[in-house]
Amino acid sequence: MSVKRLQAAVFIGALLLAAWPGLVPAPKSDFDFSAFARLPVLEGGRVKPIDSFARSALLSIRSKQSVRFDGKTISATKWLLDSAFKPDYADTYPAFVVDDPEVLGLLGLPQGKSRYFPYWQIEPKRDEVQNQAAAADKIESGRRTRFQTALLNLNSRLTLYERIKNTFMVSGQGDPVMELAAFSALMPVAMRAFHSAKPTDKDIRTMKALSEMLQTYKFLAQAGAFKALPPREGAAADDWTNIGEALSDPMSAQTPHPGLASFALMGRAYRAGDAAAFNAALAEHAGWVARYRPEAARAARAETLFNDCAPFISGMALYLTALLLVFAAWAARREDVAAAARALAWAAFLVHTLGLLARTVLQGRPPVTNLYSSAVFVGWASALLGLVAERIHRKGFAVAGAAAIGFSTLLIAHHLSATGDTMEMMRAVLDSNFWLATHVVAITIGYSSTYLAGLLGIAWVVRRHIMVKPDPEASRALSSLAYGVIAFSLLFSFVGTVLGGIWADQSWGRFWGWDPKENGALLIVLWNALILHARWGGFVRERGIMLMAVFGNIIVSLSWFGVNMLGIGLHSYGFMDAAFWWLSAFTASQLALIALGYLPPRFWIEREAR
Amino acid sequence: MRRADPLARLIDALSSLKLTILCLALLMALVVACTLAQVNLGIHLAVERYIRSFIVWWSPAGSALRLPIFPGGGMVGGILLLNLIFAQFRKLELSWRKGGLWIVHIGLALLFIGEFATALFQVESNMAIEEGQTKGFSEDYRRMEVVVVDETDKVFNDEIGIPDSLLKTRAEITDAALPFTLRVREYHDNAALTMRGAAAPSIVTAGIGAGMSFEPQHPVTADGEQNTAVAVIEPVLKDGKSLGVYLLSNALGAPQGFSLEGREWKLALRLRQYRHPFSLTLKDFRHDVYPGTDIPKNFSSLVRLQDAAAGDDREVLIYMNSPLRHGGLTFYQASFGKNDTLSVLQVVRNPAWTLPYLSCLLVSLGLLWHFGVMLRKSLGERVA
Repeated sequence: MSVKRLQAAVFIGALLLAAWPGLVPAPKSDFDFSAFARLPVLEGGRVKPIDSFARSALLSIRSKQSVRFDGKTISATKWLLDSAFKPDYADTYPAFVVDDPEVLGLLGLPQGKSRYFPYWQIEPKRDEVQNQAAAADKIESGRRTRFQTALLNLNSRLTLYERIKNTFMVSGQGDPVMELAAFSALMPVAMRAFHSAKPTDKDIRTMKALSEMLQTYKFLAQAGAFKALPPREGAAADDWTNIGEALSDPMSAQTPHPGLASFALMGRAYRAGDAAAFNAALAEHAGWVARYRPEAARAARAETLFNDCAPFISGMALYLTALLLVFAAWAARREDVAAAARALAWAAFLVHTLGLLARTVLQGRPPVTNLYSSAVFVGWASALLGLVAERIHRKGFAVAGAAAIGFSTLLIAHHLSATGDTMEMMRAVLDSNFWLATHVVAITIGYSSTYLAGLLGIAWVVRRHIMVKPDPEASRALSSLAYGVIAFSLLFSFVGTVLGGIWADQSWGRFWGWDPKENGALLIVLWNALILHARWGGFVRERGIMLMAVFGNIIVSLSWFGVNMLGIGLHSYGFMDAAFWWLSAFTASQLALIALGYLPPRFWIEREAR
Repeated sequence: MRRADPLARLIDALSSLKLTILCLALLMALVVACTLAQVNLGIHLAVERYIRSFIVWWSPAGSALRLPIFPGGGMVGGILLLNLIFAQFRKLELSWRKGGLWIVHIGLALLFIGEFATALFQVESNMAIEEGQTKGFSEDYRRMEVVVVDETDKVFNDEIGIPDSLLKTRAEITDAALPFTLRVREYHDNAALTMRGAAAPSIVTAGIGAGMSFEPQHPVTADGEQNTAVAVIEPVLKDGKSLGVYLLSNALGAPQGFSLEGREWKLALRLRQYRHPFSLTLKDFRHDVYPGTDIPKNFSSLVRLQDAAAGDDREVLIYMNSPLRHGGLTFYQASFGKNDTLSVLQVVRNPAWTLPYLSCLLVSLGLLWHFGVMLRKSLGERVA
């Protein structure tokens, strides 16, 4: 009974801990940053809160979702506001992470002390970076040197930052309110001058002034990082505009977009440090959005809450704690600790599930749409499988496997998220919820279960070497679990692969094209089939199955990530160089484990005894 | 115990599980090799070499030697199919318990047969239509043909197409409808065409080709690359009189030809055309993007399908993941051009296209059945 109570306490405590960031009110501040973070904007083809844009922009610039400056942590939204309205100040934030020694050499920056550099330190070499990047851009992506890749990457981050600086006003120059007023006053006069048959000198001066202003707005229209102004009343739902577009729009001459005045007021107040005026203008704009574009406001609010809760980060922490608890339970041989570990793993899984559901609802898509979400889903499905398997064999292996895969896939997902918006829009051919929900989900479950089987194999190998007393019953339990998981994996990877073939038949006109990604999926099917046939034929026994399951880890990883590294084929939608090293290291580690499995159990201790 | 009867031993070997495992392992090796080879060879050639072949050949660099080094996908797949069938009938009893495996294996056999049938019978071509244009034929990507056209009648032309496979194997081509024989002097899958210097000699005597020379080259295979095929053709009358030697190429646009007994004949080399008994008219092509981005959201072609024989005259919208199936052909949205006024449809004839659907269904059901039975057994043991 007390174990039950302990489990309940651990479970609820973990959930409360995970929900904490969403429950606590935002830290007190004069400026209403959280309301600004919730404002909807259009970027990357979808409506999202400024919060999401700021986080993913900062993540790609700095690899973190916040900036440390002067011993304080600055949120992504505040960083964005500073960049947009007080760029001179934002230029001093150490926001750019630069690691490559050759790039640092080019910038003339010191190596070693800090990885983070402020914009003003990079600015003197900005043209040089631009020219070098233009040269590197002409080279095919697979053939670039590390320096060229790093430089292109830096250039695109600098460009992103410069676009943010020019989203609401030109690099923080002038007073936006005065300018808007001047423009509104000038417009009718200039229009009259334009239509007059005999323009006077004054008319010509007016027209010239207007054309200069329009030039500036055209520049803003080009440079703006996102579209902050929702469609006006009666306009199509897609008709978002940025500040520059709204100002250079002829319709703006008669009735300017109401958001223009609000953002101008916000800009002036923010620059002047006038929190009350800023909050008032912000409330005015938020109210307008809520009245005329309620669906955008609602979606942005929900997504901000999701960002604040960061369920995958807290899930990651909970999985790791659960894993450590399982180890502790094994070491101390305490059933109550094992029970607590199980409860904690279930809590982690629940947080993971809620996060996954929230993403699915927010995006209006099945759970897997890109490499990032595939990692989240692989972890989820493995964790579920592991937790269910634990109910069949209560030895702690399956729950340890669930926690380990849950933790590592969420960690992988976290690193993948640095490449940009994780809810990016689907390219035309992928735009099919039916196939995303069937083929992609089935394949991903196939990945998950193959990993779980591989992890059970690893547990088997490790136990063989560290257990003092051989425990054949536990070994058998492990291998029968692994066998069941492999069978499950064969079912899903086969169904997923063939469904993929059918999708390909629907969209590309061939069932099977031997494209790298298809081949990767086929390899998983063949390998699982091979393991099962080898077992049915009696060619391999317990050890053989477990070691083959470990090799399955390599095959899934190559199919999941390695294929993207080839950079060819119809499916190469997630190219990445950086992961190559990790993939090689992982493969080597798995091969080492297989070799370890072939050595006699506890071989080093026997030698000591001799 | 070894069986003396060689046939029985062969059947034993063919139905053994060891053979299954060997074939699965070989197939994995082939798939890996084919994937890696795509980086350099392009997908088409890599598949031809490793998968759609009986034996994988290897030529040491700089030698004409061709060494068989590995069984190709055709051989491994074929043996696996035989193995599947033999093992099925020799090893598995027909029982409810094994019913799942029976269904799985039947499904797999269908999948293999489907892939073989696709390799043999699938014909792929392209149909590029501009808005407002009507087309009743599609063009192959790679295969060429020489056409002889009787253009005497300005309204109805008679065309005779000669596929490149014939041009490569025959020296002379005759047709009952032609008052002359075509002598094939040369044919190259790919060549570089240049203007000929005045001094250089040429066997070409007639048409614009007389001013040109060509250098044969290795055919290109990568996706999106196009070969420049060259044929040197000499029409010869029954009495042996030559009508001139012509150089034909798909890179030469201008028509070449001659008059003979009051009839106008034209010669050309072009991508092979497949005539269809119906026509498509492109009414509208759309290329939608997500707002504020260049990310494509959808491509779609609104076409009018006219098929007098089938009594069809209707509008069809072809878009991503939604092809048009008509008359044994499937039309997919493949590409576009000319500022979004040209739509390229991929046209596929694959009589075996339904087999994978059936196979997927069978294997899924079979695996569910089998693993369900196993799970029940395993849980039952634990309870007992």
